[in-house]
Amino acid sequence: MQNAISVQQLTKTYDSGLTALHSVDLDIHDGEILALLGPNGAGKTTLISIICGLVRPTSGNVLVQGHDIQTDYKTTRSLIGLVPQELHVETFESVWNTVTFSRGLFGKKPNPALVESLLKDLSLWDKKDAKIMTLSGGMKRRVMIAKALSHEPKILFLDEPTAGVDVELRKDMWQLIGRLRQSGVTIILTTHYIEEAEEIADRVGVINKGRLVLIEEKNELMRKLGKKQLTLELHQALQTLPEGLSQYDLSLVDGGATLVYSYDTQAARSGIGSLLADLNRSGIAVKDLSTKQSSLEDIFVSLVEGAR
Amino acid sequence: MNLQAIKAIYVYEMSRMRRTLLQSIVSPVLSTSLYFVVFGTAIGARIETVEGIHYGSFIVPGLIMLTLLQNSISNASFGIYFPKFVGTIYEVLSAPVNFLEIVIGYAGAAATKSIILGLIILATAHLFVPLHIEHPVLMVFFLVLTAVTFSLFGFIIGIWADNFEKLQLIPMLIVTPLVFLGGSFYSIEMLPETWQTVTLFNPVLYLVSGFRWSFFGQSDVSVHVSLIMIGVFLLACMSIVWWMFKTGYKLRT
Ligand SMILES: Nc1ncnc2c1ncn2[C@@H]1O[C@H](COP(=O)(O)OP(=O)(O)OP(=O)(O)O)[C@@H](O)[C@H]1O
Ligand SMILES: [Mg+2]
Repeated sequence: MQNAISVQQLTKTYDSGLTALHSVDLDIHDGEILALLGPNGAGKTTLISIICGLVRPTSGNVLVQGHDIQTDYKTTRSLIGLVPQELHVETFESVWNTVTFSRGLFGKKPNPALVESLLKDLSLWDKKDAKIMTLSGGMKRRVMIAKALSHEPKILFLDEPTAGVDVELRKDMWQLIGRLRQSGVTIILTTHYIEEAEEIADRVGVINKGRLVLIEEKNELMRKLGKKQLTLELHQALQTLPEGLSQYDLSLVDGGATLVYSYDTQAARSGIGSLLADLNRSGIAVKDLSTKQSSLEDIFVSLVEGAR
Repeated sequence: MNLQAIKAIYVYEMSRMRRTLLQSIVSPVLSTSLYFVVFGTAIGARIETVEGIHYGSFIVPGLIMLTLLQNSISNASFGIYFPKFVGTIYEVLSAPVNFLEIVIGYAGAAATKSIILGLIILATAHLFVPLHIEHPVLMVFFLVLTAVTFSLFGFIIGIWADNFEKLQLIPMLIVTPLVFLGGSFYSIEMLPETWQTVTLFNPVLYLVSGFRWSFFGQSDVSVHVSLIMIGVFLLACMSIVWWMFKTGYKLRT
């Protein structure tokens, strides 16, 4: 598979002396949705800004569909659409004009029909002649999405697209992203909400302190790192764990009324059968039981915490 | 060449200016009329002619230059400063455009507006004094060249400035005095010898002088020198802008 973007040994040191990216290598596949996770100040926006041409790299290369972002910037930039993290909009301009402007700026011939369908997709059609300053924050974000899509990019960057966005818009946005992906657009988004990555990403990357600490297929990741937990509700609360159960990874919660057993989904045997038998032998009666797969969130937290 | 982008920037800038059209025309027209009343009537009553030209007519090229310079600088500097200030510059920086295309779009729109203004001032002046333009083609050439050059200069100021004070600083502190001292309202031959020499270092003198030549066929300095000086200034501004984009000066971190 050809890579939409290939980041090679990318390093960025700002004038302040702060190194925001340490020799990052990252291949983004054609047509995928990649979610970049990372705490505040991890370097996500810096990475995106370099690829889009807003920030100069200190060293390293970035290729967009095989074209170098520095020597062949006209080609690479016309392939990319960017929705930045901050809301930057022309206050006095109308929605229609600003989206039309974006299309022209990226070298595309005017196409009112396309702008119209974009605005309709983003529920902005009735606001097309409104001045941007009269719009709400969520609407402004939609205007920025419309601007980014106005030149029909092959690659779309969404830097925290759901910050300050309500449930409804978020749902619309996922639908739009789904449609774009269907049409072959590669999508890279950053987020702090792990559920979002879990929901729509094909792959997940985690950036921490300027380093890419993980990049993995989402399903693979969850399978590999995922632990399962068996929760057992007991008939009678226990004060301490019985002696004979020490070989199991058990913990008592809820004041002893609930027993939690953690096990690895990758292991040959889960140990559930023998645990239940041993419980029975110790005379502990189980009222109810359930299992739960640990989420990406747990994985993410353990990664970032682990690096501290 | 990304012609669509140049067009997009130009049209967008022109529409921004259209929104403020009235105030941007009314104020120069009003101040021109005031200049005529004050300079033309008060001073003109004492100085009837300069170098054989009716004083009221004599100051017309200077007045147009004054408006042209001030407006070119303020239009262009504001035009690029504003997107920097509100952050919308991100889009231009991420677009497939080179510095030349950006400059043509922004400075071109600013220059267009000040050329229109210059012509309006000319028409206004015509209401007050008799005017005969000796070299109309050259007059328009000077008008365009000066508007373009100083729009470029304004563009540079707009990129350099990181607050509103800086945006005003150079126009107020340097440009306006230079215009007033550059022989806009008098012939430098009316000055004492030493001041005549000092004035020769004022670049605005060459603009006004050349422009005046296109009106009356006579001027303080030769029209060739004037043209060369504007050309030099234009090249200097182009090089600075080119350097700014090359190094990402104040645009890309
Ligand atoms: N223009 C700049 N000059 C100096 N330092 C900067 C600049 N922009 C960002 N930084 C620093 O670089 C580091 C990475 O910032 P970046 O914006 O890339 O983080 P992020 O992962 O996008 O964070 P967030 O989740 O908060 O958006 C931070 O420490 C930040 O302070
Ligand atoms: Mg960020």
